[in-house]
Amino acid sequence: MKAMRNRAGQWHSLAVLISLVLLGCARSARAEDASSWREIETKYIFGFTTGSGIGLEGEKEFTVDTIGRFGKRDGHYAATETKYEFEFTPSQFIQIEFGALGSTHNIGGVTDLDDRSQVALGGAFAELRYLAIERTSNNPLSVTLAVEPTVRRIDETSGERVRNFEFETTVNADLELMKNRLFAGFNLLYEPEVTQSAIGDTQREAKFGGSAALSLRIASNVVVGGEVWYLRHYDAANLTAFTGDAVMLGPSLYIQFTPKMFMTAAWNAQVWGREVGNPVALNLAEFQRHRAKLKFAWEF
Amino acid sequence: MMKKPALAALCAIAILQVSTSQAQQATEVQLTYSKGQFQPSQVRAPADKPVTFRVKNLDAKAMEFESTSLRVEKVVAANSEGVINVRALKPGRYEFYDDFNDKARGALTVQ
Repeated sequence: MKAMRNRAGQWHSLAVLISLVLLGCARSARAEDASSWREIETKYIFGFTTGSGIGLEGEKEFTVDTIGRFGKRDGHYAATETKYEFEFTPSQFIQIEFGALGSTHNIGGVTDLDDRSQVALGGAFAELRYLAIERTSNNPLSVTLAVEPTVRRIDETSGERVRNFEFETTVNADLELMKNRLFAGFNLLYEPEVTQSAIGDTQREAKFGGSAALSLRIASNVVVGGEVWYLRHYDAANLTAFTGDAVMLGPSLYIQFTPKMFMTAAWNAQVWGREVGNPVALNLAEFQRHRAKLKFAWEF
Repeated sequence: MMKKPALAALCAIAILQVSTSQAQQATEVQLTYSKGQFQPSQVRAPADKPVTFRVKNLDAKAMEFESTSLRVEKVVAANSEGVINVRALKPGRYEFYDDFNDKARGALTVQ
């Protein structure tokens, strides 16, 4: 009970702190005239939630995008996956991305996972994004459909040698709530995958969920925000064998250093979760306590 | 097995959308870029028709014609002309700027 009260107190303090920071940001933001700012590309302003932006026709971009996952039920667990990515926009409706994946695993004393400390080339991916509904000055909503096939030789969670095929499908939507200033982002995710282990076992699974995010542009080149994700996990690609779900919550930050270079950072903590058949707090079998994202991009 | 047709349909829609835009006659918009400013800075075009921008850069250094809402960018070298083709546009206001010069702004109003 005491631990639960402490945790609730910590979350309450964090929520108050985030509210104060956002309030302060909003006040300083009001002082600047957003009408003089250039329009912003929304793809990366929501943290883990992806905005609808597809870039500009003819634009090319190289990005390094790292996602870290930290904390399981016991022991110590830290895993990262980095995308070394090339993006380009061949038309005013399509964006194409592809690249290699690097992974690291530092695992010790975690139930059901082997101890491991490794750095490896994890796999490769490609992504096709199609802008289905475009924002205009008369329509604040923009929607992009995206598919991202990925092949991995290293398991994302355990770091074991596997053959994994994933097909992430997302709907990325965003709304401009205040011109040049306040944006809401929404994602819908369906991510089926099949994994073959080194001994030949085949496992099929899927993730399904969605997110909502709110981002405030506090200066022409700085956006801060917060997002919430609800994710469900299934031991079948057709969403029939539900095994657990989780809610992740956290802040995001986007900084445009120069017209051709920016970074985005985000952090999510699991604030609620459940595992089917295991009456414990949080879902740490399929998800992690914390996840963090850091991305740098250079356009050319 | 469901995924391949979906992907093919997505590509087909996108290609159709692009080729339909290109098949229509474009409205030409002439812009001059001089002393770090667009002339004229406010231009108009009819809705649902593609637009072709012809940007004459009279300055002695390169500029980059760019627009987030038009989703185009093109570097125009010093003392030369750049042509930028834009899809058929819905009614609205579309801002453009020189990416190398924060003060050079303009807007296209589509009606």
